[in-house]
Amino acid sequence: MKSHLILSIVAKFLIPLVLLFALYVQFHGDFGPGGGFQAGVIFAAAVILHLLVFGHAATERAIPTSILKVCAALGVLIYGGVGVAALLAGGNYLDYNVLASDPVAGQHLGILLVEAGVGLTVASVMTLLAYAFQQRGHNA
Amino acid sequence: MSPMEVIAAVLLGSGALLGVIGGIGLHRMPDFYTRLHAAGVTDTLCSALFLAGLALHFGATLASVKLALIFMFLMFTSPTSCHALANTAFASGLRPWQADSKGSTPPSTP
Amino acid sequence: MIDILLLLFLAITAIAIVRSRDTVTAVMLAGLSSLISACLFLLLDAADVAFTEAAVGAGISTLLMLSALHAVAPTKTRPRKVAWPALAVALLCGGLLAYGTLDLPPFAAPDNPVHQHVANHYLEQTNKEIGVPNVVTAVLASYRGFDTLGEIVVVFTAGLAVLLLIGRRRQEDQDDDAK
Repeated sequence: MKSHLILSIVAKFLIPLVLLFALYVQFHGDFGPGGGFQAGVIFAAAVILHLLVFGHAATERAIPTSILKVCAALGVLIYGGVGVAALLAGGNYLDYNVLASDPVAGQHLGILLVEAGVGLTVASVMTLLAYAFQQRGHNA
Repeated sequence: MSPMEVIAAVLLGSGALLGVIGGIGLHRMPDFYTRLHAAGVTDTLCSALFLAGLALHFGATLASVKLALIFMFLMFTSPTSCHALANTAFASGLRPWQADSKGSTPPSTP
Repeated sequence: MIDILLLLFLAITAIAIVRSRDTVTAVMLAGLSSLISACLFLLLDAADVAFTEAAVGAGISTLLMLSALHAVAPTKTRPRKVAWPALAVALLCGGLLAYGTLDLPPFAAPDNPVHQHVANHYLEQTNKEIGVPNVVTAVLASYRGFDTLGEIVVVFTAGLAVLLLIGRRRQEDQDDDAK
């Protein structure tokens, strides 16, 4: 990919802001609109912007495909693991009340972990899809 | 209506007018670059006027701070996207339409 | 007033998608229709849904569709013939759906069945049971945790399927180059 000076400078400025906004959406989801799905998608959008501006090789160096594949599975595992943890703590599957000493604190913890799992999987899967299409396009 | 509201209404109205002008320009301009000009200029000033009008409407609240942040974001992104579009079009071989070189009829719309 | 205007825009966009000869134009118009839907959701006070629609529908799916078009060559021409049987089926189906809406309870009436079931419990008890201000998050992640688990597994499985279909292509090409 040829170097686009203006694009790359603005992208360098924007990508951290977009990532920060994704994290805000992720962790502010309890209080305002937002949550794992939106945060994951916004996070992936920042990575895709990097992919479009700097090319596949640079993005692959920053976030390797192997890590993304692990993260995509890890998100589902976190979600299911919270359910199993609730089972082990003596409650029903995905019943967060038993995760902490106080039911409300347990719910807070459970929602935070579950949303983190959702965000991780969505961001990884969307980025993996963009990688796959990008590679395919260069070969076609 | 307080003077602040009048100013806000004037800003919103002129922003809407610029939006309509941009739309007409987008529809009527002969080729890609002139259309991008119509879209890009109004994209910047129209949204700036809108955000300023809304900020005046809300006064010194958190909403105005958010609007200012949106304004800053737009000031970075919309000229950049405009530049990227024009640069890509020029790099891929699309030459600007000139009235004297091709006669007075604009090229057919895509 | 403005919601009717937006619905009109949505219908115009849908017709424009059907009539566009260019796949790139169709993808951009689909993103536009998602954005209009997001505005409609926002007018209905569904901020979370609007946010999701704007981020997923207008943002990332447009991007991914464009990348997919980058992978396959975008097609310019399409047969302009009207497929009459398909049109008849679509009209019949739409007519039946519109006929079905006649039996729906009035829009946003407080005694609708949907408001009688569990919605009241969620709205009244969320603050005490879950303790998060955003009821949507509480319903999504806690009360309806199983549904969200299903959704996330669907996302994961879909990504897995796409990777299995096209993700290995480069590896084989490299092997071919090495030989």
